[in-house]
Amino acid sequence: MAKKFEVMVGNKAVAYSAKLARVKYVSAFPITPQTTIVQYLADMIANGEIDADYVTMEGELSCQASAITASTTVRSFTATSGPGLLYMHHPMHMTSWARLPLVMAVVHRSTKGMQPDQMDTMSQRDTGWLMWECQNSQELLDTGIMSFKIAEDPRIRLPMIFMGDGYILSYTSEPVEIPAQEEVDAFLPPYKRPYPMLPEESEEARALMKQMWNPYVDPQKVWIDQQQAAMNAKQVIKEVNADFEKWFGRSYGNGLVEEYKCDDVDAVLVAMGTIASTAKTAIDQLQRDGKKIGLIAIKSFKPFPDEEFQRIAGYAKAMGVIDRNVSTGTNGGITFTEVRHSLYDVDERPSTLNFQAGMRGKEVRVEDLKRMADKTLRAAYGEKVSPIVEWV
Amino acid sequence: MSKPVPLSKLNEKEFITPANSACQGCAGSIVARIVSKVIGKDMVRQEVACCGPAFGNITQPVFYGEIFEGAGAMMTGFARAFNKIDRSDIRVTGIIGDGGTIDIGFQGLSASAERGEDMLWVCYDNEAYMNTGGQRSSATTKYAATTTTPIGEFSRGKSEQKKPLPLLVAMHRVPYTATASVAYPEDFIGKLSYAKPVQGFRFIQVSAPCPTGWNFDPRYSVKIAKEMVLSGLWPLYEVVEGNLKLSLKPKKLKPVRDVLKSQGRFRHITDDEVDEIQTWVDTNWARLLEKDGGPVF
Repeated sequence: MAKKFEVMVGNKAVAYSAKLARVKYVSAFPITPQTTIVQYLADMIANGEIDADYVTMEGELSCQASAITASTTVRSFTATSGPGLLYMHHPMHMTSWARLPLVMAVVHRSTKGMQPDQMDTMSQRDTGWLMWECQNSQELLDTGIMSFKIAEDPRIRLPMIFMGDGYILSYTSEPVEIPAQEEVDAFLPPYKRPYPMLPEESEEARALMKQMWNPYVDPQKVWIDQQQAAMNAKQVIKEVNADFEKWFGRSYGNGLVEEYKCDDVDAVLVAMGTIASTAKTAIDQLQRDGKKIGLIAIKSFKPFPDEEFQRIAGYAKAMGVIDRNVSTGTNGGITFTEVRHSLYDVDERPSTLNFQAGMRGKEVRVEDLKRMADKTLRAAYGEKVSPIVEWV
Repeated sequence: MSKPVPLSKLNEKEFITPANSACQGCAGSIVARIVSKVIGKDMVRQEVACCGPAFGNITQPVFYGEIFEGAGAMMTGFARAFNKIDRSDIRVTGIIGDGGTIDIGFQGLSASAERGEDMLWVCYDNEAYMNTGGQRSSATTKYAATTTTPIGEFSRGKSEQKKPLPLLVAMHRVPYTATASVAYPEDFIGKLSYAKPVQGFRFIQVSAPCPTGWNFDPRYSVKIAKEMVLSGLWPLYEVVEGNLKLSLKPKKLKPVRDVLKSQGRFRHITDDEVDEIQTWVDTNWARLLEKDGGPVF
């Protein structure tokens, strides 16, 4: 089949993923820099390209709440950014509690300003949603399609966020290959209603509701089940990512992490999102100069790829973790904390450094990344570098 | 316009199993039973935080979203999704308390009304957050003692008037808005029967006295509901396509004093305060009589 390319902004790539997934319900509310996603979808629906019900809600909380009930019955989608995501926080716990495979795109916007950082999604870290990060527009489109397949997998049945940086991706054009609808249809099976809600299913529906609220079962069961599903997701993500490669010729690392130029390195930088894509340029230049440092781009933030980091510890003597987020009162960003947690049980732990960078859209340049790489390499070669956590 | 339906014509089949965990004398339970009987097998119910979990004995499917403010949005999601699978025969129904309707749920209510969502919103109005322990809501009548508007040296109970919600909903130009009372089940059943097949946003606010929160003997729930209607504290009317019609027009309203004094929450009320409520009720009733049979906007 002839490949179809179009030069498009990241938000259009996101809209295409929802279109190709044949979503039936879209709840929308404008917030910069997400807004054009729902505008593109509105256009597509207005032109009959998608057979979906589109509702402009009166706020993001209602976007999430209505997508919860809609997703009991049809494949549903919503998108938001920054403060809009914070406004969804409370219903998001319900989505995972009801084990509804709702997919949501998040275009990162700072919680303290218009420009991107990861504080919006990091504030949802423990809502029970799976979270994937993207580095470019093609990845946004592909990840969106894969997200539906992962979320809806019967082994998982958890809601999923796929995300990318505002402005840097949302409003920047680049060529994107649009997969053929027939191939996406073959890759992504039709939605199976995950929740009995029809009048003729009243017995099952009431049994499910009783199970959710029954005070006589282990009160922790809901969390235990959810945790098990999220852990199962590691395997499913790998499978779906590999399957996507077979169908469309593209994949993103092993689905959990992308190890970029990590053959024969002594240290790695660890990054997410567009900082990772900039870091690739820095790594290319450094390796040309003979520096033995590679890049780990975290693709799946939830579930967190602990085992991958334990394996990477086998070849990297130091890890320089870049965090576009802040955990106020903790020395180090959230990814740094998670990476260190993964490494604790490794016999020979690598040195770990943290760089807090890119907050409120502060530019992270190739030179910045080269300096971080240099510090990480010095740690790898035994130098006592200080401070461990630094603002860039 | 609706017509009262005699109880003898009501569906004999029950869609509610015997016994629930509601308080003795709960008028909300009466609302739940009547709604479940009239909407019957076509009903899929949305529930939010309220005394509603006590109505878990309704046998139709229910989604209890722990999203207090989300009734409007969640019913929207159901209505749209059912329509998308060609099941617009399903009647998406909410039996929602006054807090989830008038306070925290108001944004979603107004937005759903504005969008004309296909849903039936029944608010059982017990005039406070009764499931949480009787805290003031904007549906609480002025001077009522609640657990957050207690009587004391510096407090006379609630200091604001009840929010006039049914008219606010009617102003959204929705196809159907009505008030009802557990003391007038024929009128309530008639209104539900009328509203059931209508496409679009339908709203019925039902007066549901609460013995626990209002502090009266549980055997008097229906009696107090009746006195509230006959005294003009809770007029029965409906608004169809913008036209208001009073459902019950007593020749002369009873004074509000007796029905107020029969509730512990008004035990402290002074003559002047009774007079103030009486004046407000009289004015409100006179305006409703003026509007009766004509447009409200």
